[in-house]
Amino acid sequence: MSIASKPAGVEFRNVSRLYGNTAAVNDVSFTIEAGTLVTLLGPSGCGKTTTLRMIAGLEMASSGTILIGGKDVTRLPATDRNVTMVFQSYALFPHMTVADNVAYGLVVSGVRKRDAAAKAAEGLELVGLGGYGQRLPSELSGGQQQRVAVARALVLEPEVLLFDEPLSNLDAKLRRKMRDDIRELQQKLGLTSVYVTHDQEEALAVSDRIIVMNKSVIAQSGTPDELYRRPKNRFVADFIGGANLIDGELVGRGGGTATVALGRLTLSVPDPGLPAGEVLLAIRPNAIRLRTGETGGDGIPVTVRKATYLGSHMEYGLTSEFGDLFVVDPNVASPVPAGASALATFTGDGIAAVAR
Amino acid sequence: MRPRSAVWLALGWVGFALLPWFAGSGTQPAIAPPSPGPAGSALIDGLTSGRWWLLPLALPLLLALAVTALPGLRARQPVVLLASGAFGLAWVAAQGFAIGLNGWAWTWLGALFGPLPLGQGGFGAGAALTALSFLFLMTNGFAGLGFMKGDRFTAGAIGLVLAAIAAFVFLPVGYVLSGAGDTGTGGFSAAALGARLAAPDIWRLSCLTEAKSCGVVWNSVFLAVLTGIATTLLGLAFALVAVRTGFRAKKLLRVLTVLPIITPPFVISLAVILLFGRNGTVTLAMSDWFGLPVSRWIYGLPGVLLTQTLAFTPISFLVMIGVVQGIGPSLEEAAQTLRASRWVTFRTVTWPLMRPGVANAFLISFIESLADFGNPLILGGNFEVLSTKIYFAVVGAQNDPGRAAALGIILLCLCLGAFWVQRQWLGKKSYATVGGKGDNGIPSQLPRGVKIAAYATALPWAAFTFVLYGLILFGGFTENWGRNNSLTLRHYIAAFDLSWGPGGLIWSGRAWGSLFTTIEVAALSAPLTAAVGLLTAYLLVRQSFKGRGAFEFLTMLSFAIPGTVIGISYILAFNQPPIELTGTVTILIICFVFRNMPVSIRAGVAAMSQIDRSLDECSLTLGAGSVQTIRRVILPLLRPAIVASLVYSFVRAITSISAVIFLVSPKYELATAYIVGRVEQGDFGLAIAYSSALIVLMSVVIALIQFAVGERRIGRRTATPVTLQEKPV
Amino acid sequence: MTSAGNWIKSAGLGLGALAAGSLIALTAIPAKAQGPLTVLCGVQEEWCKAIAVAFEKKTGTAVAMSRKSAGEALAQIRAESANPKTDVWWGGPGDPHLQAAEEGLTLAYESPQYADLQPWAQSQYKQSQGRSVGIYAGALGFVYNTELLGKRKIGAPKCWADLLRPEFKDEIQIANPNASGTAYTALATLVQILGEDGAFDYLKKLNDNVNQYTKSGSAPAAAVARSETLVGIIFMHDGINQKINGFPVDVAAPCEGTGYEIGSVSIIKGTKNLDAAKAFYEYALSPEGQATGAETKQFQMPSNRKAAIPPEAPKLEAIRMIDYNFQKYGTAEERKRLLSRWDAEIKAVAR
Repeated sequence: MSIASKPAGVEFRNVSRLYGNTAAVNDVSFTIEAGTLVTLLGPSGCGKTTTLRMIAGLEMASSGTILIGGKDVTRLPATDRNVTMVFQSYALFPHMTVADNVAYGLVVSGVRKRDAAAKAAEGLELVGLGGYGQRLPSELSGGQQQRVAVARALVLEPEVLLFDEPLSNLDAKLRRKMRDDIRELQQKLGLTSVYVTHDQEEALAVSDRIIVMNKSVIAQSGTPDELYRRPKNRFVADFIGGANLIDGELVGRGGGTATVALGRLTLSVPDPGLPAGEVLLAIRPNAIRLRTGETGGDGIPVTVRKATYLGSHMEYGLTSEFGDLFVVDPNVASPVPAGASALATFTGDGIAAVAR
Repeated sequence: MRPRSAVWLALGWVGFALLPWFAGSGTQPAIAPPSPGPAGSALIDGLTSGRWWLLPLALPLLLALAVTALPGLRARQPVVLLASGAFGLAWVAAQGFAIGLNGWAWTWLGALFGPLPLGQGGFGAGAALTALSFLFLMTNGFAGLGFMKGDRFTAGAIGLVLAAIAAFVFLPVGYVLSGAGDTGTGGFSAAALGARLAAPDIWRLSCLTEAKSCGVVWNSVFLAVLTGIATTLLGLAFALVAVRTGFRAKKLLRVLTVLPIITPPFVISLAVILLFGRNGTVTLAMSDWFGLPVSRWIYGLPGVLLTQTLAFTPISFLVMIGVVQGIGPSLEEAAQTLRASRWVTFRTVTWPLMRPGVANAFLISFIESLADFGNPLILGGNFEVLSTKIYFAVVGAQNDPGRAAALGIILLCLCLGAFWVQRQWLGKKSYATVGGKGDNGIPSQLPRGVKIAAYATALPWAAFTFVLYGLILFGGFTENWGRNNSLTLRHYIAAFDLSWGPGGLIWSGRAWGSLFTTIEVAALSAPLTAAVGLLTAYLLVRQSFKGRGAFEFLTMLSFAIPGTVIGISYILAFNQPPIELTGTVTILIICFVFRNMPVSIRAGVAAMSQIDRSLDECSLTLGAGSVQTIRRVILPLLRPAIVASLVYSFVRAITSISAVIFLVSPKYELATAYIVGRVEQGDFGLAIAYSSALIVLMSVVIALIQFAVGERRIGRRTATPVTLQEKPV
Repeated sequence: MTSAGNWIKSAGLGLGALAAGSLIALTAIPAKAQGPLTVLCGVQEEWCKAIAVAFEKKTGTAVAMSRKSAGEALAQIRAESANPKTDVWWGGPGDPHLQAAEEGLTLAYESPQYADLQPWAQSQYKQSQGRSVGIYAGALGFVYNTELLGKRKIGAPKCWADLLRPEFKDEIQIANPNASGTAYTALATLVQILGEDGAFDYLKKLNDNVNQYTKSGSAPAAAVARSETLVGIIFMHDGINQKINGFPVDVAAPCEGTGYEIGSVSIIKGTKNLDAAKAFYEYALSPEGQATGAETKQFQMPSNRKAAIPPEAPKLEAIRMIDYNFQKYGTAEERKRLLSRWDAEIKAVAR
């Protein structure tokens, strides 16, 4: 016996979830391909956790249809869905040993005790916790508890595996390791996974696709690259990767690119599909370079307000006629000191135009 | 959904077509001929005997069968199941209440439809099964429509609890309370009701201004508040000493606190009189040694307060200990690392987390005190309270059930008020402390002041209890307690004699008959009470549905009404069809289940609100159904609450008297009823011997329950490092 | 669904099935009370048991006997009236029996032994329109603690007037007439001896000496026995009972005259065992049946003139019995009026 996967796709069709008169999720539609890891990303209260819980069957949709593997599960209770979940609090049963925790789902589904125990041991091995089976959850560290929770969800070979902010209780280093491990497991087993987080870096790191939610609706969905490079709106541009938002004007489109004017500069950006006129430019911090010693040229004059040395890169706070700018510059060999005047130029990548 | 609905549907057909519809009880008059006898099912009876009103029940059963069996109609199944279940249930109830033993139960029906030639008896097995089937078809229909997150178990459980409460709390209480406006000639008048509610002896405040007694309401409330405070503080002190200190004789302490709960109520009163009465041991000693004047101070508020506190502290302790144990140590550790001293930690973290326990313990004691009847009866003196007033309005020389009903309404309002205040105080805060994350903190030691206070409260009280029980046990071995203290075994021999006859062992003692009935009733009702109570607690804490607050209050209703009123109401409601139970052991069991359920609910609610919701959600996503989740995750974490409710309901079934005094039948005499008879006779020796035997019996059962249910194992370290070593790692 | 899924479902069915099963099991337990004659018994438990056994031995009819106080019995019979489960109500003061008769809860029946009965027993029959008859009589009197009296050198009370003596301050107990038939009998007795206003004057003065209005009629006897109080006003046989139990008490009948209760028996209207009920009724009136009282140390006066009078019984001839007007003081109206007045004038000033 070994742990395999039976990945299935998930589809939401016009799903809403109302609490009284307020909608936690409002008319949301999306598709998640089988075998991919999709992240629901957004600030607190955006509806991402409610969406996840609706996939699990822990919340019932007020309207709309939810399909898993092509089957309508809208009114199917959690028990009858082949979906498992890793909880933010881990939700390890405190009165059971680690092995019993992992075997729980198998045992309640009627798998013979011995087979369940064998598979649980295998699951623990898979997350690197072989030999910890007889401990109680309270005797494990946070990271280990997290792994137990993952193993417990994995051994059921679910059609969809859900993660509800699984790393929020871990320290930064462990977090990075865990997220890599999760991604690796997911790819190795070919699992369909839905992952909720409010950490955009985590989302970019683990996802095949990201669904960004804001105020109960989907703000944008796409691959990490799409979202980063071609955000559709101010919210996504700002939330993913962070950006300097500056007023500009769209002057022409063609060939998949658009031309925008920023002061006397013209910049080429991916075509946002907007009509000509006022737009907002989202400029990534690493899309700005500082030049000293020369004025003029295709840049804007700035004053360095603050310069911070961070080992691998410099961070600058700039003042310009377009407002304050935040810059990340890999050039640590010749930093620009605070107080200096400089010229800020823009690289081709890392600038997008969104509706104002 | 299909398999389960199909099973219930099949059971519904069995109940309708195969099982006898009417109760096989022979106590009812022969049902007007032609009677098919008790074996007739609704189908047979409806077709052959002229009870045509049973036949429409086939309609919903057929409809449900159609949607379950025909694949083409499956999409409509939930709606049809819901409709047919609801119709079936309504029809079962409507025909049952409308047609009594001798035709129409209400005269206006006769006027409307003409006379009915024959009547019908009470519901039997067939009717019960069919009604249940309709109920679950209906709730399955609800679940199929997506209510309760589509969880059939939850929907079914809510339906079951509601139906049971409607039948065994609402119906009887409704019968009694509707009498509050009775004019004495069968009519109803608001004026009569108003006059009864506003009677001066209920509300007068004359004790404040002159040397007269106050109205019973003020007496009752004053007593209940004092009892509530005293028992909550004592319960808390005991719980803290037992859980949070290195006190060595913890086990003994626990036993002592549980003793009063397993004592028939009048025994404590009797012992208190023998100690503190005018001729009591303590009173005389005080008089001899210190020249304190001999008085009857014990009769009245002080005596009742003392005995009630003795009697209800254990319940408060049982509620509190679960809560104190459940507080996550790391929360306290967190507070201490935030530079809070032990005292500040206790005040800002521990105490607020104990609030649900404190509130629940107070509420239970408050309501128990309001409804308590035995202690005010014996020790009340001229201090009148609502419960005794109600009792004597029913059975006293005035014989005024309407007045009893009015007083009952007032009592209910008081309980409602207490309940509301409790909810306000607790608010909507979260008290979850048993989380899904292992908690490896060590419970902090109590601050010195609190520790001393806890010891100073708990230990003297424990000593007092110990003396009291020593006296009681001793009393059973004396010739004539308090009068002739020479030792004898004759009371025990009289009660529990065994002899060998030609047919083998003869239970020739006088107590055996009532003892066996009592044990049977208690053993049957305790698990049922715990099950229903914890299920209800689960629904209250874990499920959100409209009207949950009202639902919670309803479950408290039967607790808030004095036993005597419950007893009368059960006779009124269940002495005639459709639900005819008087004279059976069933009515005793049902009465105990619904009367003791609230404690089980309170304990369950307090303990369950400490368990992080994500644990059960996780279990659900792992493929366990609600039933398995309850069994494998929630119940093991609820062990303290299970012990509390099992113990309490078992013990209450043995010790309570007022509720069942009208329900015991000659065949089913209960121990307490028998003992009270002995006390009335002045035969204290046998009464005390019997009570002592009951106390010993209950102690054994409690130990067995503790052993069988076991401790909750959540890998939490205890405060003493010594025991830490013993934990398997 | 997998087989595992089905298993879960069947487990889920479990709880429902459990509920159904237990409900059916419960309703299916037959009402075993059927068969024997069901009797509510208003006297002490020993006597209840003794007469049941004796009757069973004699007739072969099993008796299911349940002891209830008078008020409880009446409340139960009233509550059951739509579908009575009780056949006979035996024992307890005549007052509530009269009340039951007034409400039509009991059945008129004339016994062939009627002529053998004492006049007071026959008067109960007449007043109840044949629905009830006297089986024993018990006189109202005082019970006092001889030991305490001796210690304090106080003379035993012999008359109602003695109870007002200052040395009995805070030393008298009597039940609350609202709660107890015994105390109501005392109230009505005093009204008949002293006139209504005189009686309430007396009670107001007595109030200074009363330390407690108990709830149960016989409670003062127990309190006297345990030296909690000096004197109690009770039915004399309750006091004698304590004496037999070994307590230092004695009883006295008031010199001004006293009232009494007529312990009665009634057949419940709607009984399903009418023949057996009649047989029990007859047995309760027979000398043989009435002898069961003395056998179990119950010392009321038997109502059958042919019955042996127990030597310990307070001799009714030696007691000045008033001509107690059960007709007047038994009605609900008069009772309510007197009790309200008692509440207003006595209870309100009680501590």
